[in-house]
Amino acid sequence: MIETFDLGRRFGDFVAVDRVSLRVPAGSVLALLGPNGAGKTTTVRMLAGLLAPTEGTATVAGFDARRDPAAIRARVGLVTDVPGLYERMTTGAYLDFFGAMYGMPAPARVRRVEELIGFFELADHRTERMAGFSKGMKQKVALARALLHSPDVLFLDEPTSALDPIAARAVRELIVSLKHARRAIILCTHDLDEAERLADQVAIIRGGRLIACDTPAGLRAAGSSAVMVRVELAEPHPAALVLLDTVAGVLDPWVVPYDVAQPKVLEYRTADPRAVNPRVVARLSADGAAIVSITCQTRTLEDVYVDQLNTREHPPISLKAAVAR
Amino acid sequence: MIDVEPVDETVAAPVLPSALLTTWRIARRAAVESLHDRATYTMSLIFAVVLPLGVVIGVLRPESLAANTAARAASLATLMGVYVLIVGLGPSSGAMNIAAGVFAGEKEKGNLAPLLATPASNLSIFAGKVLGSVIPAWLYILLAEAIYLVALATILGPDRLRLLSVSLWFSMAALVPPITVLGAAVSSFISSRVRTYNAAQMATGLALTPVMGLLIGVGFALRDQGSGLRLACVAGLVALDLLILRLAAGTWRREEVMAHQ
Repeated sequence: MIETFDLGRRFGDFVAVDRVSLRVPAGSVLALLGPNGAGKTTTVRMLAGLLAPTEGTATVAGFDARRDPAAIRARVGLVTDVPGLYERMTTGAYLDFFGAMYGMPAPARVRRVEELIGFFELADHRTERMAGFSKGMKQKVALARALLHSPDVLFLDEPTSALDPIAARAVRELIVSLKHARRAIILCTHDLDEAERLADQVAIIRGGRLIACDTPAGLRAAGSSAVMVRVELAEPHPAALVLLDTVAGVLDPWVVPYDVAQPKVLEYRTADPRAVNPRVVARLSADGAAIVSITCQTRTLEDVYVDQLNTREHPPISLKAAVAR
Repeated sequence: MIDVEPVDETVAAPVLPSALLTTWRIARRAAVESLHDRATYTMSLIFAVVLPLGVVIGVLRPESLAANTAARAASLATLMGVYVLIVGLGPSSGAMNIAAGVFAGEKEKGNLAPLLATPASNLSIFAGKVLGSVIPAWLYILLAEAIYLVALATILGPDRLRLLSVSLWFSMAALVPPITVLGAAVSSFISSRVRTYNAAQMATGLALTPVMGLLIGVGFALRDQGSGLRLACVAGLVALDLLILRLAAGTWRREEVMAHQ
């Protein structure tokens, strides 16, 4: 549904997007992560038919981004980083205007506007000018606008920002149902938890380059071979840290909170927890330490994200690698 | 949960509304928005009300009181005709202000991208924006001209109003709408190529001040010419508008607007 190959965009000498290759099949969500100015918005604008690529190719809903941007725009729903409403209009009039812009016949427009106003709980504000709306309400109207024409492809930039937890949850459920209805969705977000929950693939972009793209689990697994292990003791055991340091395979042991004299909770990293953890348990038990629990901590997407952004050089990911995923 | 239909890949392309209808919808929306904008209507109302009254009371009334010979009366009649142009051009400046904001201003507010993301053509968007800037100005111009005529009739008297040649009044009034379109088209074009509303206003002012000065000069020069030449000037101005609109709309790309962010 969305496929790019070495997609690039220059503004004069400035390279905003550099050789980005992505593949988002119908019925899947790709979370596009990256710091501000990384090239996410430019990438989305190219894919939404708003900006022509200067390098590479992009196909969206079966149409070429260079040759048929109008056909792409007719099939794409876009939520920008700001709601971008005509605030002097009422909600109903605003949605009706955009329905008309997408070529929806009047009866279908009226029905769809009613449906979306109901879904986003805006019925009480239908005849109010949007200037007085809260950020969350404006965000709901922007989402309704993007969904008006039932687009095949959705680009959602921070769709749940400014929403209260209940509304945010409803929007996340909507994204999942859209995915199940075979929409291809690109979600730009800084909410890594949301990305992890919703995305089938996570792409990290920095300096215009795609520096990582995989499933959330794949990224977590590939980022580092070492896992974090936490050991909790029933009572402080003064020799625990020294003992841990002598076990083969234990990396960087430390005490939490840092109190070397009275260690009760300890952490270490290891590349092979299956082999190392039993040795740790045996060594501590042999010295009389009472172990309450030993847990392997899963690496979060946030850890991966921070690691990726802290790495200095990244070669761009090729399409071959993207397709292989 | 809202109705989420599965994607049907056999469905044909959406039927897009006609370009004219889309243009009109964009224009109507922009015009209504401008008519509700406090700064715009305050400035336009000042031009539409204060300028004609000021002209009649401050300029034409002393002339009228002094017009006690046939030659002075003829001079007054010409002056009244020329001020039809000046009175109309006051509120027409509102169109340029509105047009300066249609791309750059909306870009700053972040509400331009959703419109550019629709399948509406470049021509529809550009023409709709220009028309949307011009419609409110035309309404204020009508108001200004009406106030001018009523002020002439009430302050100078119906006898003085009767001195105003219909031919001169018509040709001067007819110059105002195409001048307004010219200003709005140039202003919209500049607005689509700069980053901020202030930059658009400044560039528009620099580009249009000499042009407006020239056109006012032409208007004054035409007062003593025959009605044929005056109508030819109006027709020429309309042709120039069409040419500029065609060039501006033909070269305008939403791509340019998004690139200048």
